[in-house]
Amino acid sequence: MRRLNAIVWGAMLAFGAFVILQSLKHNYYGSDFGPGPGFFSFWLGVLLMALSLAQMVMTYRRPAEPLPAGFIPGREGVTRMVCIIGALAAALLMMTTLGYSLTMLGFCIFLLHRLGRQPWWLTLVLAAVASFGTAYLFGLLQVMLPKGVLGLM
Amino acid sequence: MEAFQHLMTGFAAALSPLNLLFATIGCVLGTLIGVLPGLGPAAGTALLIPITFKLEPTSAIIMLAAIYYGAMYGGTITSVLINVPGEAASVVTCLDGYEMAKQGRAGAALGIAAIGSFFGGTVATFGLVLVALPLTRFALKFGSPEYFSLLLVGLSLVMGLAGKSLAKALVMGALGLIFSFVGVDPVEGAPRFTFDIAPLMDGIRFVPVVMGFFGIGEILINAERSLAGVIAEGGKVSSFLPRRDEVRISILSILRGTGLGFFLGLIPGTNSAVASFMSYSIERKFSRHPDAFGTGIIEGVAAPETANNAYANAALIPLFTLGLPGSPTIAILMGALIMNGLTPGPLLFSQHAGFVWAVIASLYIGNLILLILNLPLVGWWAKLLKIPYNILMVFILVFCIIGAYSLNNSMFDVGMMLVCGLLGYLFKKLDFPLAPAVLTLILGPLMEQSLRESLSVSQGSFAIFFTRPISLFFLIVAALIMVTSAWQAWPSTIREESKEAQV
Repeated sequence: MRRLNAIVWGAMLAFGAFVILQSLKHNYYGSDFGPGPGFFSFWLGVLLMALSLAQMVMTYRRPAEPLPAGFIPGREGVTRMVCIIGALAAALLMMTTLGYSLTMLGFCIFLLHRLGRQPWWLTLVLAAVASFGTAYLFGLLQVMLPKGVLGLM
Repeated sequence: MEAFQHLMTGFAAALSPLNLLFATIGCVLGTLIGVLPGLGPAAGTALLIPITFKLEPTSAIIMLAAIYYGAMYGGTITSVLINVPGEAASVVTCLDGYEMAKQGRAGAALGIAAIGSFFGGTVATFGLVLVALPLTRFALKFGSPEYFSLLLVGLSLVMGLAGKSLAKALVMGALGLIFSFVGVDPVEGAPRFTFDIAPLMDGIRFVPVVMGFFGIGEILINAERSLAGVIAEGGKVSSFLPRRDEVRISILSILRGTGLGFFLGLIPGTNSAVASFMSYSIERKFSRHPDAFGTGIIEGVAAPETANNAYANAALIPLFTLGLPGSPTIAILMGALIMNGLTPGPLLFSQHAGFVWAVIASLYIGNLILLILNLPLVGWWAKLLKIPYNILMVFILVFCIIGAYSLNNSMFDVGMMLVCGLLGYLFKKLDFPLAPAVLTLILGPLMEQSLRESLSVSQGSFAIFFTRPISLFFLIVAALIMVTSAWQAWPSTIREESKEAQV
């Protein structure tokens, strides 16, 4: 747990330093009176760094603790998470080309089959409802969804 | 008297067939969210924002408010029937509610919860009507310095939402503020933290962040565990009417729960779980048989459920009158108001009186709809629990994608949601509270603007915040909240360290 805490607070410390460096690119004082665009972010960076440093010191002052039970997911859990993140990333990349309905159809078939372990017929029915069904529903609500090169929402 | 005249006008608008329909849909969807495990009121309200995009603002907020308090009640159903709280405020209801269900009295538990929720919610809304105008008139005296100090009170509440670690809450508050500064600087027009990425010039939008944190993050957390069906056989639902002696005992519990929930709702930074837990412990103190709590007694359900719904309605008072969101769900409602071009605060009552009174009137109607909906339909709601989570999850993801995209027809926002989802997952795993980041993401731009306006007026002097009485008062309140929160956090640190020293 100590190493994990050190990594987390180290990352926060680095992010705080990054924020300070970025804010220095802007005026600290405004052209009018009072603070400029860099004022707030500079002090927030300082706050982040101060808190992270304090927590890092605390981490090393405390005795080492084991990681909480179940903190690291099992292999199946990791596979499920990778499937979800991968499917979302693929949908993100393909939606403008394939359009909403087709992308979501593929997205749902993959996730329902891979994680849902439903019979094929149910997977297809549910995927059709979640893709074409929601496209129709949101079309009624006048919400625009990507049409893709086929012009199919 | 004036307030009641406005309220009547509000009723005329809220009772229009369309608004009535949206209130009913909101109650149904809210109850559905509350019933389904893995979706709390905050996540559910955020997920359903896109449904309201094309609605007229009054209808949109009526529906979102109905989703909010519907979800608060929906959580009760699972607590009683299968001992799985739909959201944090219903955890305490499991203690006696599930015991009652095991004794074959699930109907009575759900019945008293519905009646208590209706009473608590209605009285709290009545309180909103009474205090709204006086509080608004007071708040109209605010200039930029007062508004800045008030927002500082809002920011200090981050410490109240701290959870286990004050440092982590402050870090999350700071991260939310940093996110809120991305985009074009409102005064000088200079781009900040945009890294030459064009969509970032418009800033980081609230909906993708909230959907990522609460929707995707929650799904990833759940995906770690087995996604097998959650349903377990609980008590059967029979009669919804409690026994006569139970009604007699419950009346006082409901009254106490209403008072406590209303009072806590007025204090930003508390949450509905605090209201229900405090109410439960107060009932134990008042009870002649405190040892019987946890064995299935009706006061153990009536009081916390009433307090939780009274809280939900009363928490809208600081939002509508002062623009202060007291809880994550209220912060999401505030975001939805801003997206509809309505800035919560004192000017809301003068500039958009029709809107605000229609929403207040809809709270009464919504509470009644919930009562009608929940008493006879509880058995149906319970059946929804049989939907396996792995199917539900796919639909939630689809809604997340639609929600993030349709906000601005931008795939960049979908990508932002995915990134925030991964961050939300990591933060949850590492016990960093998400609520402070959401709160500061909303309050950040408002605060920066009022500070800079104030300093322009005072020609750069910070004394303007201390020489104006109302501003000074808010600064003292903010300081008190910060000191109290730090004080509460301190002893636990000291205890931990002294324990370690002994080891």
